[in-house]
Amino acid sequence: MSVLEVTDLNIQFGGVRALDHVSMRAGEWEIVGIIGPNGAGKTTLFNCITGFYRPSKGKIRYRGKSITRLPVHKRTALGIGRTFQNVGLVKNTTVAENLVTAQHLQTNYDPWAGMLGGPATFSEESRLSGRAAQLLELLQLSDVANARVADLPYGVLKRVEIATVLATDPDLLLLDEPGSGMGPEEAHALGDTLLELRKEFGLTIVMIDHHVPLVTGVSDYVYCLNFGEVLAEGKPDEVRNHPEVVRAYLGEEPAETTSEEYV
Amino acid sequence: MTEPQTAEIPKTESEAESTRELPPVVADQLDDEVAPFRPGVAGWLARGAVWALLAWVVFAIPGNVLSPFHLGVSDVGHASKAAIFAIIGLSLNVLIGYAGTISLGHQAFVGVGGFVSAYVVVDMGLEFWLAVPIAAAVGGLQAALLGAVSLRLTGLYFALVTLAYGVFAEETLFGITAFTGGEGGKNVPRPIGFGDDYSFYYLCLAFLAVVLWADWRLVRTKGGRALQALRENPRVASSYGIDVKAYTLMAFVVSGIFAGIGGALLAQQSTFLVPETFDFELALLFVLMTVVGGLRNRVGVVIGSVIFALLEEGTLVHLLHIDGFLDSTIGLPAEFFGLVVGPFLLLLTLTLYPGGIGQQIAPISHWLRGRKFDLHAGKVTEVEVADVRA
Repeated sequence: MSVLEVTDLNIQFGGVRALDHVSMRAGEWEIVGIIGPNGAGKTTLFNCITGFYRPSKGKIRYRGKSITRLPVHKRTALGIGRTFQNVGLVKNTTVAENLVTAQHLQTNYDPWAGMLGGPATFSEESRLSGRAAQLLELLQLSDVANARVADLPYGVLKRVEIATVLATDPDLLLLDEPGSGMGPEEAHALGDTLLELRKEFGLTIVMIDHHVPLVTGVSDYVYCLNFGEVLAEGKPDEVRNHPEVVRAYLGEEPAETTSEEYV
Repeated sequence: MTEPQTAEIPKTESEAESTRELPPVVADQLDDEVAPFRPGVAGWLARGAVWALLAWVVFAIPGNVLSPFHLGVSDVGHASKAAIFAIIGLSLNVLIGYAGTISLGHQAFVGVGGFVSAYVVVDMGLEFWLAVPIAAAVGGLQAALLGAVSLRLTGLYFALVTLAYGVFAEETLFGITAFTGGEGGKNVPRPIGFGDDYSFYYLCLAFLAVVLWADWRLVRTKGGRALQALRENPRVASSYGIDVKAYTLMAFVVSGIFAGIGGALLAQQSTFLVPETFDFELALLFVLMTVVGGLRNRVGVVIGSVIFALLEEGTLVHLLHIDGFLDSTIGLPAEFFGLVVGPFLLLLTLTLYPGGIGQQIAPISHWLRGRKFDLHAGKVTEVEVADVRA
């Protein structure tokens, strides 16, 4: 059974078809890459999967269960975690505090009990901070644990975001451009980290990124979107060399350059 | 739109095999490397002395042999009112500060609390100790109703709804004679054992302490964090699994409960309750004292509320013994002092100190908590100017 199954998804904004009959799936423990030029509908697809947008047509299934009409926070509770293209963090707190906030659903007490200061809430709070420290350690972020999010550079925040979404205890991880703001070396390392995380947490990962080497390097399967449609899909190598894909990225003539100098 | 990336990327399999770790992020500020500041014995003694002084002012205000002030009987009553206003300020802070919404009808919240508690005590003949929780519960309930509206309307439109609710309460709800005594108002006896202004002040302080505790724990736990996340970025909050609507409602209920408690105490404090007290002007005063106090700054909100409570009728001027001075130098009667100071404080908040009084006193409050004295302690503040002006 596939973890995520999107069938025939359609969404329109005014006259623009942002997604046009998009179908995709991600199997257990798979890493699925989504590439495509700007405005191809990649983030829109994520917004449909996580529930920020309601598709006008189509079905989204998570482990066989239809989630097309569930609100965002209920999808998170099912185990769908996501990161945002332009960093989704609470900016006016510290990194560690963000990871504690993200453990909202793992917090085992009622908010009212917390407000009254029940003794159990104190021990639970220290458990949450312990877990936050653990995750930060894992992503080599311990040094900035007490830094304010607003003070940190973009590249670091993209990594903080990954730690934060792991704190929500996801099963299916949707990463929106995790490698943006990172150099090619760092992006490669990120790819290895993702493979490690998949092993450690048993994750299924769907990832959007412009770093084509990163996506093709770690993905088991790749979709290429263009103008809201699936242009090509298949094994990373197939998609990368697919003539339509090359054309969508480069125009008519395939060039001899590598992406490394552009990242 | 140009897209410089290419699809033709040579990738060597061996590269992917060798596991490279992300380099650890190293913080460039070495704040933590330097040993954290610890005040010495003299430092602690100095801080302890200031703490003791503050405690003395707060606890001895109603005037006993040790009191720093020479207060008239009416001024003692105003001290209780200041404590009650602090509760109301904290109540409004939950809405404006934590949930990021606004209420221009908070006088109605407080008024309902007051009249409910009066009704419970006078008409139902129940104890004061029951009246407070009932007033709090009713306060929470009405706030939940208004909160349900806020889920559909935001910003200016919701502000208008709260304003309308305040006017509705004043004109209609409080006009129900059976409930409020109508135009004539209602007598509310003080609780037994707290009949005089002195002991009643301590009762108000006790309630303020409870509210402060709840507010502190709220911010430090699940609910408070959820509120902060949804205020700053509702999309991120919901992706964390936070039910944005439910927690917005919770903020309303918490605010309503605090306001209900404040209202119940206010009814007992004035011992005579008339509907006209709860007019729109009062709502503005509540918003003013909260914002000037400093959103999301507990101490600031309390101080702001106390200042505005005492500015009314010139109590602060009496307390500070500057009424004679003011009168002789600039011919300003004590009652009008507030009209000068209030707008001045508001201007300060809107221009230099978006964090309000909380930001202005940051050097002192940080020092009192055992940190180094730093004049710029309040520079980094969560509250931005735009936050307050919005």
